[in-house]
Amino acid sequence: MSAYSVSRRALLGAGAGMTAASLLGLRPAAAQQKDIRVFWWGSQERADRTNRAVDAFKKANSGIDAKTEFAGWSDYWPRLATRVAGRNAPDLIQMDYRYMFEYARRGAIVPLDQYLGSALKIEGFDKANLESCSVDGKLFGINLGVNSSCAVYDTAAWEAAGVEPLTFGTSWDEFSAKCAAFAKGNKRRRFYATMDASGHEPAFELWLVQHGKVLYTEAGQLGFDEKDAAGWFKLWADMRKSGGCVPADVQALDKSTLDTSTLTLGYAATAFPHSNQFVGLQQLNKAKLAITAVPVTAGGKPGQYLKPSQMWSVTSDSKSPDIAVKLANYSVVDPEGSKILGVERGVPASAAVRDLLSPTLDEVSRSVVDYIGKLGPYTAKLPPSPPKGAGEVFTVLERVSQEVGFGVSPEEGGKKFVTEAVSILKRG
Amino acid sequence: MATYAAEVAVSKRPAKAGRIGRFFFAGNGAGYMFLAPWLIGFLGLTLGPALASLYLSFTDYDLLQAPKFVGMDNYVRMATGDAKFAAAMKVTFLYVILSVPFKLMFALALAMAFNRGIKGLPFYRAVFYLPSLLGGSVAIAVLWRQLFAADGLINSILGVFGIDGPSWISNPNYSLYTLVVLSVWQFGSPMIIFLAGLRQIPQDMYEAANMDGASKARQFFRITLPLLTPVIFFNFVIQTIDAFKAFTPSFIISAGTGGPINSTLFYTLYLYQEAFGFFRMGYASALAWVLVLIIAVFTTFSFLSARYWVHYDE
Amino acid sequence: MNDAAHAAPPGDTPERSILHSVLIHSVLIAVSFVMLYPLLWMVSGSVRPADDMFGGQTSLIPSQVTLQAYKSGWFGLQVSFGTFFLNSLAISVLATIGNVLAASVTAFAFARLEFVGKSFWFALMLGTLMLPYHVTLIPQYVLFLKLDWVNTWLPLVVPKYFAVDAFFIFLMVQFFRGLPRELDEAAMMDGCSAWRIYWKIVLPLSLPVLATAAIFSFIWTWEDFFGPLIYLGDIHTYTVQIGLRSLIDSSGTSDWGALFAMSVLSLIPIFLIFLFFQRLLIEGIATTGMKR
Repeated sequence: MSAYSVSRRALLGAGAGMTAASLLGLRPAAAQQKDIRVFWWGSQERADRTNRAVDAFKKANSGIDAKTEFAGWSDYWPRLATRVAGRNAPDLIQMDYRYMFEYARRGAIVPLDQYLGSALKIEGFDKANLESCSVDGKLFGINLGVNSSCAVYDTAAWEAAGVEPLTFGTSWDEFSAKCAAFAKGNKRRRFYATMDASGHEPAFELWLVQHGKVLYTEAGQLGFDEKDAAGWFKLWADMRKSGGCVPADVQALDKSTLDTSTLTLGYAATAFPHSNQFVGLQQLNKAKLAITAVPVTAGGKPGQYLKPSQMWSVTSDSKSPDIAVKLANYSVVDPEGSKILGVERGVPASAAVRDLLSPTLDEVSRSVVDYIGKLGPYTAKLPPSPPKGAGEVFTVLERVSQEVGFGVSPEEGGKKFVTEAVSILKRG
Repeated sequence: MATYAAEVAVSKRPAKAGRIGRFFFAGNGAGYMFLAPWLIGFLGLTLGPALASLYLSFTDYDLLQAPKFVGMDNYVRMATGDAKFAAAMKVTFLYVILSVPFKLMFALALAMAFNRGIKGLPFYRAVFYLPSLLGGSVAIAVLWRQLFAADGLINSILGVFGIDGPSWISNPNYSLYTLVVLSVWQFGSPMIIFLAGLRQIPQDMYEAANMDGASKARQFFRITLPLLTPVIFFNFVIQTIDAFKAFTPSFIISAGTGGPINSTLFYTLYLYQEAFGFFRMGYASALAWVLVLIIAVFTTFSFLSARYWVHYDE
Repeated sequence: MNDAAHAAPPGDTPERSILHSVLIHSVLIAVSFVMLYPLLWMVSGSVRPADDMFGGQTSLIPSQVTLQAYKSGWFGLQVSFGTFFLNSLAISVLATIGNVLAASVTAFAFARLEFVGKSFWFALMLGTLMLPYHVTLIPQYVLFLKLDWVNTWLPLVVPKYFAVDAFFIFLMVQFFRGLPRELDEAAMMDGCSAWRIYWKIVLPLSLPVLATAAIFSFIWTWEDFFGPLIYLGDIHTYTVQIGLRSLIDSSGTSDWGALFAMSVLSLIPIFLIFLFFQRLLIEGIATTGMKR
């Protein structure tokens, strides 16, 4: 409970800032200064846990009121954008790694460095962790869960095909050979060893880093060329040919959601999601799933990196940013708050919280925590932040990978992708 | 838009209506009294936001910061360097051309079937309306996959005949057609409106035609079709406007991507991606006003042509 | 009058008639099944366990039947679906009344009255059908925010009383134009005001189109998700559609069983509304036909 007294003092200290904010505020007395609004995306379970944590927070801090709202991922962003455009954004919002750059660079969320060490007691997070929540050197997010790419596979299916599944340190070439062997041993109709990850940006980025390249340079330019992209497309074109990965029209069913994953749909025995999605995937799959690292490049560099699955950010519309920060702090480092949230948003960034939670975890959640723990040797440092337009480049990769899948040559695909990506980055 | 004016004026028989107006309604007072609720709503609620979006179409507006005026830039970009815009145009026109006639024919055929004395008529009507009740439900994404994915029902049926069908819904050569099927499947609203129109045709006209020994086909072309033209016209105009503006089917089924390979990239879905996905509300607004222009041209031609084929029983 | 009154035209012999009707019914039943297959799958999806939902289940028969999804769906969110149903019902009823009243008044003006600038306003009215709502969303949000209507039902209901949906005006204009004009003229000779003509002659004769408008208005308001998504923040004010969408989070875990279960339940009220109004529609039209 000591965390409270400290943050309460910090709250008093921030009082001056609060008055200034209320002078600038558009809303008259109707809105009390101790009211905040909290908004996140997620499932019912997340809503349930977060509401309980907010209630506990209110109980521990009398006089503070917090109203909560949540929506599914695809409804969250238009709803948030409308509120931001109307200068009526909630105080504390859940942020995504990619969107953080858009919102921070446009001034919709505020830097949190001033709270570090006072209201925000996240010194326990390691440095890489804070970096991954920063834009241009300033902290804009409070990590809600550590995340990384991973490989998830159906153990029984690999066994039935008589092939040893991939594991930590399996190379792309080995993986490719395994998938081809899977195709030979497999008996199920329309069933393949793996999804086609050629249009999946995290996998492509990871592969580039293994080859000593990056997706984007520090200067915000493309960090790879046509040949690199063509090499990536060819890797998957060959797997398509060998019957190792799903055909293009099956892969196109995958909308980067768990329910449309070719693994869930019963077409593939392996998928490459984010590690925080493992629990959700297991819920939708009858088969027992296992989690391991994405393949490596033989003789290459480590390519995976840890990034936040989601963060808390404070909006510039907030008239009580200190209360918002206090609530965020409560949910990620306070023993009471973080215990209520559990690992539902990903592996907690605080080692103390991880230790606190570890006895309470079920087998599936524990395997995710273990996975992140074992990832050390396979991780590189955080790549440079994505420039404006990166979101659009992402969609181009997906589209061009489909064009290659439906018949364009990998070389032509590589050329197309690079040309379009460059012109998008130029436009910004 | 002045052409509507011409059409409305002509079809209203101005001389007669004008006389009525002058003698009995004491000028414009009654007209504007009845128009008042709409007029207040239009001026107070609709016009402002519409004009705002027209202004935004000349700006660079990223939703999070104040808009910056950029003149014609957005329109120039659309006309010169936007491959996705062209793709969206193509998809949308194809969708309009395919879905509207099929949906209307289907709706008309079933409305006619349901207009005749079959037992259990209310039951069938309800059953055939049910799909339309689903509207834009998120469940449709899953249901359509159950039908049109690689291992969906359609391929199971084809499999019986030894045909190994593609994954219709996710193959760029066929995906748009699955959306056309969805549109035709939800034919309930035009069906109800057709039904209302059919019911308005006096039965004695058919009796007289039967007496004269006119064939069923002749009755259809001589009585049903002409008397139904105002309703056909309404359904045609409304369905076409709706098809141009179609958003939800692709938003739900392609999860907002318009994929695979932009094959289901409806114009409004592209607009939505630009506005909320890539933070270009200015450009999205310009896209919207170009769509308004296209629909307005189409509607104007429809109203002009109506003079030649729509019969109002006035 | 009912459906039976529109029996098969004279000239059909009884035998032909029976054969005919067997044929028609078999075709209709077959088509019905195809039409309903996705809906049947939805019902079957609502009683399946979560891990039996995907992975290529074309069969309508679930591997095992569980009503768990109905429970987890109804009570899964912090507010039960009962609240959402009541909210949707209230909003839809209010919106329907507004739509039918306001649109019929406006349509009466366009179809039966003469006034300066009529064609101009008619063109603008149609024009409002053409602009995609995504680009007016933000200006409209700002407008409603200024009115302090955000987080209330007002943005979803009040505009309907000002006939903002031109579809209904256009629909009614088309039908009002079909009513015999001699009726108005006779009434005017008797010195009836425009209001009395609207209320005593046009409305009673237009029961079918009013029923049609009521059906569409209710169903479309019930199904609308974009408006409620933007304007309703407090979960206590959510509509059924927003409740349904809250069950799905495409980035993580979703309760698909609950989605199907609640989707099935959400169809029941609008289906009943449809059944009720379609009687009105059919009977109403028959009456109109007789008066001609």
